[in-house]
Amino acid sequence: MTRPAEVKVREGATPGTRFDEFEVGAKMGEVSFTITPEIIDEYIKAVEGDEKLYVVDGRNAAPPDVLCVYMTSTLYQKYPPIQGIIMCEVAFSYHHPVWRDELTDVRLSGEVTEKYVKKERKFVKWKGRYRRADGALLAECENTFSVPE
Amino acid sequence: MAHDKTASLEHKVRMTQEKIDRYGKLNGDWDILHYDHDYCIKRGFRGTLAHGMHNMAPAVDLALEKYGKDFYYRGRVAVRWTGPVCPGDEQVTVLDPEDNIVAKVDNVPGSGTIMVGKSTLRDK
Repeated sequence: MTRPAEVKVREGATPGTRFDEFEVGAKMGEVSFTITPEIIDEYIKAVEGDEKLYVVDGRNAAPPDVLCVYMTSTLYQKYPPIQGIIMCEVAFSYHHPVWRDELTDVRLSGEVTEKYVKKERKFVKWKGRYRRADGALLAECENTFSVPE
Repeated sequence: MAHDKTASLEHKVRMTQEKIDRYGKLNGDWDILHYDHDYCIKRGFRGTLAHGMHNMAPAVDLALEKYGKDFYYRGRVAVRWTGPVCPGDEQVTVLDPEDNIVAKVDNVPGSGTIMVGKSTLRDK
């Protein structure tokens, strides 16, 4: 089992990354983690999910958004966070369920795609891909956040 | 599980600091915005902030209710947060027949909109 905190750099643990240090096009290192039935159960409780929705052809699946809790791991490995980051936008495209009755080894990688200043706020955009250890694509994400400076 | 796709779907949930802490414990996100009330007030917020992706979870559940297993293979959720959800707020999330997502909270003046976006199938 991999708890998200085990693969994320904690806010405040380092000086953190300033806006001018984010590099457009920079590849983030691949982060590996294992999603377990216990993590899925904890996620459903945390978001007060509706259990009856998480079934695919009679087999129990995780809520697709369980992947969210690992999202920033690859970003923060390369760019440790400063306190006060605000998430602005996110998009997830789902390609395959994470099954609830087995361990799922996942590889997450990504890259910074854009950075800009708007109304004196500083924004960074990046995208990531979640793949199973066998290479199957689980989901893709795009995220924009603002850096408080 | 198939739903009447011409109707809007609605989800309601009340936010508490305990729920924010529970999500943060799992998420591993210890940003000060999620637990330091005084810091949040100084930054102009009404209180601590729930995690954005915690607020997004109802948008995924509503799409699953509408599209069933197809959402697992072809689903796309895209949201933009326009305001925070703070302890005490009731978040009401609506998925309309055109797959638009709008979430509002009841404790703020004006529209109270905190999140807008889309929950749909990619090749619909």
